[in-house]
Amino acid sequence: MQNSILLLFLVLAGLSALVFSFVYFSSKKASVEGQGLSNPLRKRFWFLLILFVVLGIFASVTIPKSPYFLFADETPARVIHVSAMQFAFLMSDKAIDPKTPAGESSIELPANQLIEFRVTSLDVNHGFAIYDQSNNLIAQTQAMPGYVNRLRWKFKEPGNYNILCLEYCGMAHQVMRATLTVK
Amino acid sequence: MESIKLRKITSLWIITVLALFIANIVLGIVMRLNQGEIIHEQPATFYAHMTTHGLTQIGIWFVAGMAGINYLMERYLKTSYLANVLAMIFTVIGILMLWISTYIGNFHAGWTFLYPLPLKVMWAKWGTPLFLSSILVMGIGWLIWAVSLMTQILKKYPLSKALAWQHFRKNPAIQTPPFILISMITLIGIIACLLGAVLLLAMYAAEYFSNGNFVNDALLMKNLTYFFGHTIANEMLYLGLAIIYELFPEVGGRPKWKTTWYVALAWNCTLVFILTAFFHHLYMDFVQPVGFQIIGQIASYMASLPAASVTIFSVLVAVYRTPIKWSLTNLLFFIGVAGWVIGGLGAVIDVTISNNFILHNTLWVPAHFHTYNALGNVLFSLAFFHWFSIQFSSKGNFEKLTKLKLTLLLIGGIGFLLAFYIGGAESIPRRYSNYPAEFPMAAPLAIAAAVFATIYLVAILIFFFQISKRCLNILFSPSSY
Repeated sequence: MQNSILLLFLVLAGLSALVFSFVYFSSKKASVEGQGLSNPLRKRFWFLLILFVVLGIFASVTIPKSPYFLFADETPARVIHVSAMQFAFLMSDKAIDPKTPAGESSIELPANQLIEFRVTSLDVNHGFAIYDQSNNLIAQTQAMPGYVNRLRWKFKEPGNYNILCLEYCGMAHQVMRATLTVK
Repeated sequence: MESIKLRKITSLWIITVLALFIANIVLGIVMRLNQGEIIHEQPATFYAHMTTHGLTQIGIWFVAGMAGINYLMERYLKTSYLANVLAMIFTVIGILMLWISTYIGNFHAGWTFLYPLPLKVMWAKWGTPLFLSSILVMGIGWLIWAVSLMTQILKKYPLSKALAWQHFRKNPAIQTPPFILISMITLIGIIACLLGAVLLLAMYAAEYFSNGNFVNDALLMKNLTYFFGHTIANEMLYLGLAIIYELFPEVGGRPKWKTTWYVALAWNCTLVFILTAFFHHLYMDFVQPVGFQIIGQIASYMASLPAASVTIFSVLVAVYRTPIKWSLTNLLFFIGVAGWVIGGLGAVIDVTISNNFILHNTLWVPAHFHTYNALGNVLFSLAFFHWFSIQFSSKGNFEKLTKLKLTLLLIGGIGFLLAFYIGGAESIPRRYSNYPAEFPMAAPLAIAAAVFATIYLVAILIFFFQISKRCLNILFSPSSY
């Protein structure tokens, strides 16, 4: 998915660079009587309309795929409570008491079943980002003190998944991690 | 016409901004070298660099844009010299406080200082109040400046005219220059987000001095943080656009641009969209009401429509098959607009919620905002700096080294940015002092980025020496000059 996004970006960026280069060279070659673009207002209107339609299609296709709506109609097979703290994740099947926090930094999960992660923080903001076995980011949510973010996900492939913190949380942010083993 | 005092203070702004920019690029290179394992710093030192780099960068390019519009506004109305000087004093003091808090106090909570991290002290105890006070001091200076400029505009143009609403009717009796319209729209946004910052800092202070009796709401604080941070980072770009509307046709020897109904409509819409687009920073906070999340995506998409169909289209139409008197100034403007467009494409991809799910807080984020800053906004300001510096210089070849400077800027800039984009596609986290072994591409990309950033730095150094030399002449010339 990320590679497709990069490709899309590079194509669009390349096209933009071409348009700007073309327009620049058209000016360099223009004669003193150069008249520029004919009927620019009409062309501006069409440009706006096309852009509006393209973005409208993009929005209508992508918004329903937002993570808030993922597996919304299904019942989770398992609920994992996650408490993030400087600089570790605690995970448990039971609710974690913030006064005496306890949990594991590595847990096992079943493949192809809906898991709901209930993610919160015991101190500052953290990120809860799940990386697959190829180290691609596949899902994430934030861990915020005083709130519980619910992330629903189905792991299709068995194997080891890393959890990394993706919200800067202090001097050891880069080593804050946990693991999931999907069987 | 502008006063000699205004010339001098503008020169001082330019020299200050360029000197701090060079220091800031060096910080960026040091961070990338550390990530590339070429040098080895303590993580806390890396994050102190990161905090300093982020806030200094926002500060200097904001004041660069403000100095530019303040100077050009004298073509239309009298501005307050006192407000300009106060902003300079407050900015310099604020930057000094920031650097002391990060390098002596070791404060390293990031320039976005996301609540409640600054209150979980892992540095000198005085670091947090000094850092927050540095923002307060800069904010006060900028608020005085912005309110002063807006007041002066409103003395000449009533609010409806300053916002060019009369252009929605046929044959308006009074013309609002596009420069005034864009400045007014931008100043409203700036004042709104600075007031947001004041509220944010007040809430920090309330908790800091409450001895644990008062605790803020983390979600509200995050919304306020990004209302301030996102908005000011975008408004500084719009300051650059106001300068383009004023100078691009003039420098190219073309007729002045006029406000039309669609220019007025576009910029009025921009004000609304830019004040609501910040919600996209909270997409991964699933407890935020879903309505706000969708507003975030739609407002961010909509913000691109007036930008693309009016400003960018106008620049392209102004150039297409038109004999332009090309010079370094309008080349920088033109390339800067292209950089802004390409950074905007990266941003539109990232503000799509389903993409943000796998891009948020990866290197894709610094990739897109560095694009429209390093190859967009910086170029707008460099164009103004160059144009300003040659206005009062009678001798010298002002186009000297143009090709070399632009080539270095583009090669250095594109290479440096590509490393970020590829890193984002590789899911490499941002804001990591050192990369985990799972990302074998991360260190080589960081080294490549440092090399290309050094090329970019060489170009900036040439600009600095050429422009500063001329600005120093203006600064130290006799007042009768």
